[in-house]
Amino acid sequence: MRLKNMLSAAALAVSLLSAPAALALEQAEQVKLLATIDDRQRNGGDYKAMVYLEQKEKGKADLVYELVVYRRDEDDKLMMLFTKPKAEAGKGYLRLDKNLWNYNPNVGRWERRTERERIAGTDSRRADFDESRLAEEYDPSYEGEAKLGKYTAHLLSLKVKSGVDVAYPVLKLWVDKASGNILKREEYALSGRKMRTALYPRWKKMFSESKKDDVWIPEEMRIYDEVEKGNSTTILVKTVDLRSLEANLFTKAWLESKSR
Amino acid sequence: MGQLRLLLQVAFRNLFSSKINLLIGGIIFFGTLLVVVGGALMDSMDSAMSRSIIGSVAGHIQVYSDDSKDPLALYGSMSGEPDLAALDDFSQLKPFLEKHPNVKTVVPLGTSGAIITSGNTVDLTLSNLRELYKKRDEAGETPELRESIDSVKGHVRQMVNLMADQTARSEQELGGAQKDPAEVKALAQARTDAFWDAFEEDPYASLELLENRIAPQIPDGDMLELRYAGTDLDAFQRTFDRMEIVDGQPVPTGQRGMLLSKFFYEEFLKMKSALRLDHIKQERDLNQKTIATDPELQRWVKENQVQTREIIFQLDPVKTRKMVERLQKLLGSQEPALDTLLTQFFTTDDANFDTRYAQFYSELAPLLELYRLRMGDVLTITAFTRTGYMQSVNVKVYGTYQFKGLEKSAMAGALSLMDLMSFRDLYGYLTADKKAELAEIQQQSGLEALSRDEAEEALFGEASDNVLVAEATSTDVDDQAAFIGDQGALTRENLLQRVYTQQEIEQGVALSAAVMLKDPELLEQTMVELRQAAKDAGLKLRVVSWQEAAGIIGQFVLLGKMVLYFAVFIIFVVALVIINNAMMMATMQRVREVGTMRAIGAQRSFILGMVLVETLVLGLVFGAAGSLVGSGIMALLNSAGIPAGNEALYFFFSGPRLFPTLSASNLVAAFVIVLGVSAISTLYPAFLATRVSPLQAMQTDE
Repeated sequence: MRLKNMLSAAALAVSLLSAPAALALEQAEQVKLLATIDDRQRNGGDYKAMVYLEQKEKGKADLVYELVVYRRDEDDKLMMLFTKPKAEAGKGYLRLDKNLWNYNPNVGRWERRTERERIAGTDSRRADFDESRLAEEYDPSYEGEAKLGKYTAHLLSLKVKSGVDVAYPVLKLWVDKASGNILKREEYALSGRKMRTALYPRWKKMFSESKKDDVWIPEEMRIYDEVEKGNSTTILVKTVDLRSLEANLFTKAWLESKSR
Repeated sequence: MGQLRLLLQVAFRNLFSSKINLLIGGIIFFGTLLVVVGGALMDSMDSAMSRSIIGSVAGHIQVYSDDSKDPLALYGSMSGEPDLAALDDFSQLKPFLEKHPNVKTVVPLGTSGAIITSGNTVDLTLSNLRELYKKRDEAGETPELRESIDSVKGHVRQMVNLMADQTARSEQELGGAQKDPAEVKALAQARTDAFWDAFEEDPYASLELLENRIAPQIPDGDMLELRYAGTDLDAFQRTFDRMEIVDGQPVPTGQRGMLLSKFFYEEFLKMKSALRLDHIKQERDLNQKTIATDPELQRWVKENQVQTREIIFQLDPVKTRKMVERLQKLLGSQEPALDTLLTQFFTTDDANFDTRYAQFYSELAPLLELYRLRMGDVLTITAFTRTGYMQSVNVKVYGTYQFKGLEKSAMAGALSLMDLMSFRDLYGYLTADKKAELAEIQQQSGLEALSRDEAEEALFGEASDNVLVAEATSTDVDDQAAFIGDQGALTRENLLQRVYTQQEIEQGVALSAAVMLKDPELLEQTMVELRQAAKDAGLKLRVVSWQEAAGIIGQFVLLGKMVLYFAVFIIFVVALVIINNAMMMATMQRVREVGTMRAIGAQRSFILGMVLVETLVLGLVFGAAGSLVGSGIMALLNSAGIPAGNEALYFFFSGPRLFPTLSASNLVAAFVIVLGVSAISTLYPAFLATRVSPLQAMQTDE
């Protein structure tokens, strides 16, 4: 495990640090590069994080939430459970296979939602909280180097693979040349219309027992709505726990039993 | 006096003597007819509509907060729900309004909208099954419960088989594999005996496989837009005489609950095949259309032939067998496949439609759930609250209701009624406590707001002190708060049973208050007085009439009236010009006559009188004829009624037929207008006639 990770980190370092070479990257190499970005964020085990979520809209009061995000990366499971404010506590989302379920303990009902679901009415989507699966979902192409403030970044253009359901089919990624972390992500509709811009100014680096290696977690995400200008969402990952979770956590029954 | 008699004599003698007079008379005749009939129709429609709107939800007067951004629109507006500020406490507003001597009753109201989503048929059946297992876990298994579980399980298994068959068939027809191999595999697994034999060992795990891998394979369920008015349901029913319960029962006093609009229930919750049959029947019976000639009816027949899944998926194995037997008997067929039988059954034409329609309801419907929701079922409504948070409530549907006279109106029929407590939950008023809680959460995050334009510079710019990567360690995350919030199953159960006191119902948010008056004639005056009283008491209130409050419908009424009045105005301007010209011609023709009269001593005033009286007599005679014929037409319409051919007319007529009445005021108005127009148009020619000198008369050629 450790060796594989080191190898992929090395591959990323090689590919990202040598820009001229990257320009001439073969398709296979580009995919590998994307896989490396995913892999750096992957914990390989369970993940639990306390997250602050805030939505700003013009002319409206801010929406604020605190939620716990649970992930089991090996079988792509995800659960989001709201803890604050009090009136929202106990509501949640559960992703099983390709289904995104929404649960509201107030009415005791599960509803299936789509990939385009605005999580709790904000500009965030399921993918913003989930494990990074860029290589699995998109085909990359390298666009060259770009400056982003004081950082130098590799600019990648991504297109969704056929048959994969994602919220945004076209992406542009700015990846920091020095650290290999994503700095900025632009998301487009199939028509070419820019839908959202996400900025990733801060990353947490922590050692994972399950991965036996370092894992990078985007600590702060600032998401700007490019359609409804003036709307924005901020996601802040406050604390992260990488220990294993209960075995049957990612089931409807678990959430139902807890909210009784 | 003698002169007047002479003038009248002259006038009557001239009445039919010239063609020009007949022309003028004709114009006056039709003008009067139009004013009488048009005016009476307009007045009848106006009063029918007023009665409908006042008696259904608006009341005579509506009172709402002056801080509102939009005007009140009870039936919704073009841009959706109006943005209204809340009346914080209805219990304080009510006594204030009731102080006015002309106010009879005050009813709290709040309209809003939500989208209700339901999963597909498989989702719904599975969630049923899940509930049954949960019930078993809580209260233990009884023979009845076991029977229900087995029946639903049989139904699910049947659906899985149907889905697998359909997949296989569509792959055969379209060639090659159309589906994701994982889906096909899941479907195959869910068909095996092994899967069903092992089901009971871990029912929840089995359910999750069905919910996550099988159910998504058929298209998503429906999304419905639901408009509702939250109100004090008892007071509402007492106050609005047009409201009547159709199915079920009223919501018990003080309890949470809902009355769906009958129109909404039929159009959106009824099984599509049955609804299409109803539509075809209505078009054939009411509008005399035929399947042979009308493309819309043909489309419905076609859709019924093709879209049989809604029926097939609904039936468990026992009912499927019964349905097949009944269809075989009805059609005299040996065909074993249900979908083929249904397609045959729904192949209707003008000859067999009425029989098939009756057979559907007598033979097939008893095996089916005709509506997706039964009286007594609980409906989950999810809406965005005022504060932007999503809120869901469960509301029990006790019955359906309609407003008499507005049964077919899509606009009025869009509105369902809900208790005020559920409405307030969905409305989500931002209390001071909540506001403080949100502010604290926001403050704890320690985040700074950054606008789109400044964000990149502030976060990544040369001047920013941003540190991209920070070392962190795994820490404990406490999720206990998720399970001790306001939500939970216990409150859910209690809410549906709880009985609220009148005080609890009235204390709290409402969006407007409907006011019924003792004397509706004093509407304007009462509005003015209420406005003044609100101002004196320092209350920021808007007081509007029912017509304004009805929003788009009120504007519609006003627009219709204006169009008619404008048309009448144009007609009379034209009449004025024509009469004027005709009179000029008539006067010119009579220059010699007038000159002669002047020569033998007639005064100018006599000439003036002669012309004027002549026109007035003309107006009176032909006006009277027009009024008489108009009254005749109205009497005929009044006894026969004018049928409302479509839904919009149904609303304007307040029912299937309008029985217009003629009031004395219509006749008086017609006479005044006609005489006025004739008098005005004669003034100038009469004046010209007085200028004719005897000399001029003698000098004409010939």
